[in-house]
Amino acid sequence: MKLRMSPQTVLILDAFLEQPEDWKYGYDLSRITGLKSGTLYPILMRLAERKLLETQWETGEPGKPPRHMYRFTPEGLRFARTNLLERAGGGLGQVALGLVEC
Amino acid sequence: MGAPRQLAAMLLRAVLRLAPEESREWATAMLRELDFIEGDWAALFWAFGSVTAILRHAASVFRMSLKRQTKEAEMNSTGRKALGVGLGALYALMLVGCAFAGLRLTAILFPGLGLDHAPWTFWLAVVVVPETILVTATVLLWRKRGPLAAGILATSLVVGLHLAVHLAMR
Repeated sequence: MKLRMSPQTVLILDAFLEQPEDWKYGYDLSRITGLKSGTLYPILMRLAERKLLETQWETGEPGKPPRHMYRFTPEGLRFARTNLLERAGGGLGQVALGLVEC
Repeated sequence: MGAPRQLAAMLLRAVLRLAPEESREWATAMLRELDFIEGDWAALFWAFGSVTAILRHAASVFRMSLKRQTKEAEMNSTGRKALGVGLGALYALMLVGCAFAGLRLTAILFPGLGLDHAPWTFWLAVVVVPETILVTATVLLWRKRGPLAAGILATSLVVGLHLAVHLAMR
């Protein structure tokens, strides 16, 4: 699967990897990564189009408009771990990403 | 609500209205986030970035649909060519069939001509004349209606080959 691993994409994947099972909002991701919406959303769109991210509308309190949320698909999680591992470089990266028990 | 935030909301709503179907979900998502952004100016910059993102997405959607249309047009062009070849073959077969039927009809209507006992009439009416017409048509049509000419030529070759095999067997 081809996806340009720009530093911004890495930042976003990294943010999702913090708690991969949690849903995240666009604005929260923007604050965590420091990316502007014009940079953040095109990357989110690409990840979603490649089925690496799943999206969902939050069913919150009635009367409040729903928010769009994002989290890794199982494939996305594998992709992120593999790619970030390669970048982190071997064993140390595995420890850092919690794939290997210390 | 400050003026920059109002402007941001207005901008995003306008983009949402104008965005193509495929980009609307994302435009709505960006608009919803506006309520959670602290600071009016930050909201306005969020809207500017979002507009850029939506425009880029809409452009990529447009490019994809253009690519799809081009592909479909190419497929249609292939279909047209195949139809042309088929029609050419059909015309050629009709000509040979008509020549054969015409000869048989003449032989039945005018038995006195003795066409059944003159094999050269068969060769002339069913082979030489139609093949000449087919080759001439192929040459004339080759530049303007290539597929049709190709169909005619192919049939002409098949008929010619069939007769050659027939002669060889005799």
